[in-house]
Amino acid sequence: MEHDTNKNEMRPKKRQTSLDKFGKNKFTIKMKKKLVALGFLVLLAFVGLVVRLVFLVRDNGDSYKKQVLSQREYASAVIPYKRGSIIDCNGTVLAASEKVYNVIIDSKAILVKEEYLEPTVSAVSSVFGVDAKELREYITSHPTSQYYVCKRKQSYDAMNAFEMLASGENGVNVKGVWFETEYQRSYPQGSLACDVIGFTTGMDGDGMYGLEQFYNDVLSGKNGREYGYLDEDLNLERTTVAAENGYTLVTTVDANIQSIVERHLKKFNDTYANAHREGLGAYNTGCIIMNPNSGEVLAMASYPNYDLNTPYDLSSVYTQEQIEEMTQEEYTTELNALWKNFCITSTFEPGSTGKPFTVATGLETGAMNGGETYYCPGYLTIGDYQIHCHNRLGDGQVGVEKAISSSCNVALMQMAQSIGKKNFLKYSKAFNFGLKTNIDLSGEARTESLVFNEKTMFETELATASFGQGYNVTMIQLISAYCSLINGGNYYQPHVVKQILNSDGAVVKNIEPRLLKQTISESTSDAVRAYCNAVVEDGTGKAAKPTGYTMGGKTGTAEMVPRNQGNYVVSFIGYVPADNPEVVIYVVVDRANQAKQDNSKLASVLVHDIMTEVLPYMGINMTEVVTDAEKEKVQESQTGYLYEEKEAAEREAAEREAAEREAAEREAAENGNGNNGTTQEQPKREVKIDPETGYAIDPLTHELLDPETGEAIDPNSSFMERINPEE
Amino acid sequence: MSTRRNIGKKERFFDYTLLFVVIFLSLFGLIMIYSSSSVTSGDTYLGRQLLTTSLGMGALFAVIILRPYHFYGRFAYLGLIGSVVVLMLLLTPLGITRNGATRWLNLGALSFQPAELCKLGMILYLAVTFDKLGKRVSDIKLVLMHVVLPTVIMAGLIYVISSNLSSAIIVVLIAFCMMFVSTPGYRKYLLIILAAAVILVAVVFFIDRQGSAGGFRGMRILAWLHPEQYSDTSAYQTVQGLYAIGSGGITGKGLGQGMQKLGYIPEAQNDMIFSIICEELGLFGAIVIIALFGILIWRCIFIASNARDRFGALLVVGVMSHIAIQVFLNIAVVTNMIPNTGISLPFISYGGTSVVFLLAEVGLVLNVARNIELKDMVQK
Repeated sequence: MEHDTNKNEMRPKKRQTSLDKFGKNKFTIKMKKKLVALGFLVLLAFVGLVVRLVFLVRDNGDSYKKQVLSQREYASAVIPYKRGSIIDCNGTVLAASEKVYNVIIDSKAILVKEEYLEPTVSAVSSVFGVDAKELREYITSHPTSQYYVCKRKQSYDAMNAFEMLASGENGVNVKGVWFETEYQRSYPQGSLACDVIGFTTGMDGDGMYGLEQFYNDVLSGKNGREYGYLDEDLNLERTTVAAENGYTLVTTVDANIQSIVERHLKKFNDTYANAHREGLGAYNTGCIIMNPNSGEVLAMASYPNYDLNTPYDLSSVYTQEQIEEMTQEEYTTELNALWKNFCITSTFEPGSTGKPFTVATGLETGAMNGGETYYCPGYLTIGDYQIHCHNRLGDGQVGVEKAISSSCNVALMQMAQSIGKKNFLKYSKAFNFGLKTNIDLSGEARTESLVFNEKTMFETELATASFGQGYNVTMIQLISAYCSLINGGNYYQPHVVKQILNSDGAVVKNIEPRLLKQTISESTSDAVRAYCNAVVEDGTGKAAKPTGYTMGGKTGTAEMVPRNQGNYVVSFIGYVPADNPEVVIYVVVDRANQAKQDNSKLASVLVHDIMTEVLPYMGINMTEVVTDAEKEKVQESQTGYLYEEKEAAEREAAEREAAEREAAEREAAENGNGNNGTTQEQPKREVKIDPETGYAIDPLTHELLDPETGEAIDPNSSFMERINPEE
Repeated sequence: MSTRRNIGKKERFFDYTLLFVVIFLSLFGLIMIYSSSSVTSGDTYLGRQLLTTSLGMGALFAVIILRPYHFYGRFAYLGLIGSVVVLMLLLTPLGITRNGATRWLNLGALSFQPAELCKLGMILYLAVTFDKLGKRVSDIKLVLMHVVLPTVIMAGLIYVISSNLSSAIIVVLIAFCMMFVSTPGYRKYLLIILAAAVILVAVVFFIDRQGSAGGFRGMRILAWLHPEQYSDTSAYQTVQGLYAIGSGGITGKGLGQGMQKLGYIPEAQNDMIFSIICEELGLFGAIVIIALFGILIWRCIFIASNARDRFGALLVVGVMSHIAIQVFLNIAVVTNMIPNTGISLPFISYGGTSVVFLLAEVGLVLNVARNIELKDMVQK
């Protein structure tokens, strides 16, 4: 080094403006020193890097390790759960979810090679009926799309057909199509028990109405998940968390009984449709059949109904033109009306079916002993009102049994007066009027504000309430309470589901009959049953009696609010057999399509028709002697539900019905004549006959009356009148 | 010529240590490129890098064997002008734009990064210039005109044409290192460094206060300061790199066993390859690699100190600076000591142009070493 430097310094100095020729200068000692300094700096910098690395690893090593592991999940997919089925008590499937396939298009994969596009498009369009042009356009205009749902809810068969095509010889170039599974709700029985079952909506498949809504949480399962990640050794670990399928509901409903009921409701409507006004046979027709000893609902139906598979279709009620004329709002209103379950959602005044409850209250409270007699002059003046009996001419002297069997309002009003407001309300509450039955169906109406309480009930209200006017009930409330009246006083909570099964069919929960309370004593119940038996035996409900069976029950004719419009809800509630009820039926006809709606026979005949088929099916034996002719008819009707060919059965049934109704009417007429002498001991009042029409004239209101029944001819005539309407 | 050859034949010095370190780093680079890219891209990157590394090795030996290094000095001006012309070619349709920056020239099957050529051209030019300045290296006017001005012009051109700030900074820093070695005095350099530091701190402080100013470079500074806040966006790569380093621990997960290359660190074979080294080979592997670069630098200092003349020595200083600066900046970026900027790790990162030119530069260093007369070698 020294040598170099010296040599350099010894050179002669030349002052030049231009630069030296290169390669002649030495790398001086000073430069070397600076080079060492630079090297030292570089070393320092490198040491700095090492220190930084050491600190990074020491301070963050563990947390970063976790971070890296937590990031490792690489893929995941949802496995949809299967919603639980709904089956009837015999295992007939009412609602089930089927696996369906969504066709997914992966444009990117299809566009990898030009020759993939056409075969793929043609395969998809031929199998799934997709418009080839649109599909091609979508793929070419969205070249990076990897997830496009081309068609939803394809069947397994369609999916399979596509797979076969794609794996076949011509399918080599079919690429970029895959399937995503999903479940679709289907209702194999169509409209059967639509009110009870309800339906599901949208993509989530949440239940709407009925069991689908009430048991939504039970029917719903939990989605599963499939995911994979890379483990420590870079192996792909696949983990599948299986979907938890929903639970199956076993209902108390019997699809056979349900279909008998629905068939008769439909027939009723077909008979009376457009009879007096444009439209259905009645605004609503409802029927519930229950086991009075458990609260199990065997059938619950209303008309009009709808197909659960197409709940948004109104064509079962309206013509295409009518639907087209509707505004969106009207359409929605109509749909909601159609979807609601008439049997639990609609409230109405029960009318005379409320009378047995008044009698039971009287007997239970000791206000009556059953031996009372009442005089009915055809009306009773209460406060400012004259309240009529059905028979405006008066039933004369009536006992308790007669009061029920001939449905005498005046006798009932007198009973209520002796019971008093306090006890009447107390028992009304005991029968659960005004309270929900808590049946396991969604949409049950609250009727708390539709019944009387201490503050709203006065003399007149008490009087009308005695025969079932002035307060509102739902069908399910009335039938549940009525069951307790005739089964010894046991009030069972009505229910529709009796068992919950898991997806493997194992029992998760048994729902036993739930006895809520004792409404009345057994002796009172026996007495009420005797009175109700008389109704069918020789009273207003004779038309309901199915041949060969003993039956008890009560008719109901309730005038709707506003009064004097001629709008009536007629009903019949009855039980079979008369001495030991095994089945209770309740039929309600809301505003029948008739000029004169207050004809409880409409309901009674419907009950007769239904029970004639249902009772043999249920294996309830006939207890009365049946003539050969009657036997033949009954046998015909018993086979009705067995026929697979519905049309043939229906035609046959129609003929049979006509014949039977005639027979029943004849029988009723005979019975009426036969009993007249024994029960009507009190002489009838003098009746003036209108010479022009031949009708009787009401001595009070001068309305025209039917001379046989004493009922008003004018369909708009009300059961109560203000004494001085001018005031 | 004959005398030199005779000398060479009899007393030839050859720095095998340096050669082997460079060969080792290159091969190690190939392994790491395969490890970090094979999962996502198969052997595509390995294949290309193998080709360019072979090309670079060819260049290295060609540069050693062809002529003594003075021969290359003759092309210094031509090289400088030539590299500027090639840089200008980016403005023609030959330029390839990727991610908004035109940094590559299309050469048919290969692409070429002119900035790498510019760095070599600059080293060659400055070595020649400082040699020619002779004793007048202390003449500030001359230095400004012949050194600072060309450097600033070159860096400016690189930045403006290819919007490649990191290459521009590297060119400036190489020139700064060569100037520091060549010109006397320490205080002025200390002052320059201090002034630069103050300005940088002020800029960083300003951007941090502002919150989001300054385009993508401002964003990178914010991401550097607060990586947690931007871990899903601009700091994603940095944070994932840190995860890789931290999760590697002391001994690493084993070669090929890294997780972060599986899509978490985008293009792990490029600038972030050091984080994969840390993850798979741990702190141990990382320190060995830094130590190898240290040996490389040490050999360069040795060669420069014993070079026959100033030109040779400065050539070595330039190459050494180039390597040292890139190693430091790359690892500093990966460990989030400085804001993210695209600087590759010499010999190891994927990148054809870079590896060819770096190996050629090492060839120059070895050429200088080969021409050291053994009798001149100092016993230290």
